[in-house]
Formats: sequence, C-alpha cells, structure tokens
Amino acid sequence: MMVARMLVSRLAPLLACLGLLAIWQAGALTLSTESFPTALEALRAVPAILGDRESLVNILASLRRMSIAFSVALVVSIPLGLMMGRNRFVACFFNPLLMITYPVPKAALMPIIMLWLGVGDIAKMLVIFLGVSLPVIYHSFQGARAVEEKMLWSGAAMGLSAAQRMIRIVLPAALPEILTGCRTGLVLALITMVTSEMIARQSGAGNILFNSLDMGQYDIVYAMIIIIGALGIGLDAAFERLRRRLVRWSEPGFEIPLSFA
Amino acid sequence: MNVKAISTDVLLGIVPIALLVAVWQGISSFGYAPVTLLPPPGLVFMRLAQQLATDTFQQAIIATLFRLFAGFSIAVILGVGIGLAAAASPAVNAVVRPIVRVLAPLPKVALYPALLLLLGFGHESKIVLVAADALFPILLSTYYGASMVEQKLIWSAMAAGTPRHQILFKVVLPAAVPSILTGCRIGLVISCIVVFLAEMITSTEGLGHLLVTAARTFQAVDMFVPLITISLLGLTLNALLQALRSYLLRGFPEI
Repeated sequence: MMVARMLVSRLAPLLACLGLLAIWQAGALTLSTESFPTALEALRAVPAILGDRESLVNILASLRRMSIAFSVALVVSIPLGLMMGRNRFVACFFNPLLMITYPVPKAALMPIIMLWLGVGDIAKMLVIFLGVSLPVIYHSFQGARAVEEKMLWSGAAMGLSAAQRMIRIVLPAALPEILTGCRTGLVLALITMVTSEMIARQSGAGNILFNSLDMGQYDIVYAMIIIIGALGIGLDAAFERLRRRLVRWSEPGFEIPLSFA
Repeated sequence: MNVKAISTDVLLGIVPIALLVAVWQGISSFGYAPVTLLPPPGLVFMRLAQQLATDTFQQAIIATLFRLFAGFSIAVILGVGIGLAAAASPAVNAVVRPIVRVLAPLPKVALYPALLLLLGFGHESKIVLVAADALFPILLSTYYGASMVEQKLIWSAMAAGTPRHQILFKVVLPAAVPSILTGCRIGLVISCIVVFLAEMITSTEGLGHLLVTAARTFQAVDMFVPLITISLLGLTLNALLQALRSYLLRGFPEI
C-alpha cells in the first residue's frame, strides 16, 4: 500500500504531462486547422530541432546567458535583501526604489538597453539580471526580517560580530524564504530570457520560436514551446530537489489535511 | 512609530530615487550621452504630461487596463475557486496538484505564439496570457492559506451548529483571506508585466505597442513615456489593493 502510494505520487506529474498532451491531441484533432498541429506532430519536430547544430548552439547560448545572469543576480541580491531585513535604514533606502521598479516589465527595458549596449550578450544578461534580482531581494528581505531577535541576542552575547551573526544566524534562518525567492527568480529568468531574445531577435531560443512563427512553420513553433516548457519544468524540478535537501529541517514531516467534509 | 520617524523613513526612501534622477540629468546635461540615446528627465516628464492629455494615449491606457483587469479577474476567480476546492477535497487535490506542478514553472510567454495562432491578435490572446500567468501565484497562496486554517476554528464552528457545507465559505475562506490577498498582489504585478510584454510582441494598440513603435523609429523620449506610465499604473493598482486589504482585514490582528 505504502509502495503503491509512493509510486503514484512519483508518477503523478508524469501522468499530468501525458494528460495535458492527450487533451492537446484531442483538441487539435477536433479543430483540425493548419495552425494548430497535433501533439504528436509537434513532438516529432523536437528531435529535428535538437539534432540541428545551429539551433542547438542557439539554445545552449541562451542557457549560458541565463545561468550567468542568474548567478550574478543571486550574489548581489541575497546580501542586499538580508541587509535590508536587518537594518531599518537600508530598508528605507531601497524599498521605494524597488517598489517603483517592480511593476515595470524588465524585458520592456530591452529596446532602451539595446540602444545603449547593442544587441549582444551584455544587454540580454543585464535584463535577465534585473528580472531575477527583484523577487530574490524581496524574499531575502522578508526572510531576514522574520529572524527571531532572541537568537541574534544570544549570538551577540556569545561574542559573534555583526558580520558573523549575518552569516551564521540570519542566512540559515532566512534560507527557506530565500530559496522560495530563488525558485520564483529561476522561472522569471527563463521568461525574461525568452522575451529578451524575442525582442532582440538575434540568436537564442526565443528567436527560433518567433522566427518560425513569422515564417509559418507551425510544427517548429509548437516543438519550441515543448522544449522551452520542458526546460522550465526540468529546471524547476531540479531546483526543488536541491531546495528540499538544503532546508529539510524546516519542513513539517507530514501534511495534515483539513477535515470537515 | 511616531510621525518624525516616519518622515525620516520617507525622506531616506526618496534619496536613491532623487539620486537616480540626478545621475540621469547629469549624464545627459554634461553630454556623456547624446539626447537621442538618453533624453533628460525634464523632457521625458514634459512629454508624459503632454501625452496624457492626448486621445490616442488615453485609448492605449484604456486598452491595456481592460486586458489587465479581464485577465486578472479570470485568474482571481479560477485561482481562489480551484485553490479552495483543492484544500477542501482530497480527490480534487490529487488531480490538481500534479497539473499545477507541471504548469506552474512553465514559462507562459512561450505559449503566446500558440495563443496568437488560436485566438488571433485581438484582446483574447492577451487576456488569456495574463490570466494564465497570474493564476498560479493566486491559486498556490489560496491553497496554502486554506490548508493552514486552524482545525480548532472549524471544530468550534461545527460545535456552534454551522452546517458542514457552509464551513468552506463561513470559516475557511475568511481565514484564508490574508494569504489570498498576498497572492493577488503578486498576481497583479505579474499581470502588469505580462500585459505589457504581450502588447510589445504583437499588438495594434496599448502601451506596449506604443513602446515598440517608438523603438522602431528611435524616438527615445517616447520609449520612456510608456515605461513610466506602466510603473505608475502598477503603483496605483498596488495602492488600491493595499487599501482593499486594510478594509477587508480590519478585524484581523496585525499581519
């Protein structure tokens, strides 16, 4: 019984994928328009794209830009967020600035940044960096703010300096919240990557997607959607594993369902 | 916190914004960047005021706001509904959970070409994209809010004679409101971002379209105007949601 339940919960996302693909297939068969190929046709085009040297290089270049920008954003945002959480002056200094930049779509800055920096890697990485850093700063801020004062006092009483308290008390205590921010940031990085390439139209996965849309190669459009979607799901699942391992101590061991029905 | 402390906080917060504008002004007035690349802030804000009075600009704002609200409302209705259902019923949960796990991390922008092909270039494709993007934060926070409701509250309601089918709306939903509103706030910001992006990709109207047209003709001033407008819109909507929150949560302890 236990084993069966484990197996079902393991396989559930896979079943969901298959179910969604089946709905797609059924929808495409009933609509049967040229611009909406069936799931099978789209899946058949996937190996063709991944096998093509040029598109593979493009997709890998996108991923490289994304991972560099994502790492730089983490290195900058986590310390900033933690400091904002522990120091009222830092928080007051940065909060309004972050508030006015939050609703601005970062990829919409792309045309302006392209004017300054050209269409190269730097412009795209800057946009991804901006997109990732805000949620990470916000979550680190919330996490650091919620750290129990008593722990900090005990740390200070035992002779930890301010910097040591930050690294040895605030950082671990805020880690679950920080990682939630990183997970949001990861999805946002992928979204910004696609949109920035779609606006700059020079190379990358977003470029392939929208070029094939313009040229009416619908099977490639849908195959690219599958590839980008799979990237998102795969990256998220990998990050979730890492997160579980890092913050296992903070999660309740079992879930308690609501009972009233 | 007294009045003086609050005013120092506000002053401190204005500093980086003022600094940013000052640097911006400095770069353009000392001639480090030509006006065609970086117009001075005065020019941009003048242009903004000028544009706000024109008919075409107002229509662009209305088109954007319509798509934003339509998509956001769909996301709120579906998100709260599905979230509550998943928290209340293990059967619904078993179906919804894996689907959400698959769909939530999917970059929805990648679906936009498919939506364009299926729904056309008008309002529909944008509204669906906004709804798809705003749905998951609202759904997840509703679900967590509703499943964190204290069992004691439910027991007391049952002991007080509340019929079982009413508990969901009389106990669970009100108790989950703070969490739902947090989700709505994230969803609202995402809606702002997504509606603008969708209009940038393909559109014939709206703020995003204005930005793209300006970019194609290298009118740097006109590129800043829609960006500032969407930022102001986002701030206003956020403030409205905050007001709604403090009204709805007036009975709650400080959260």
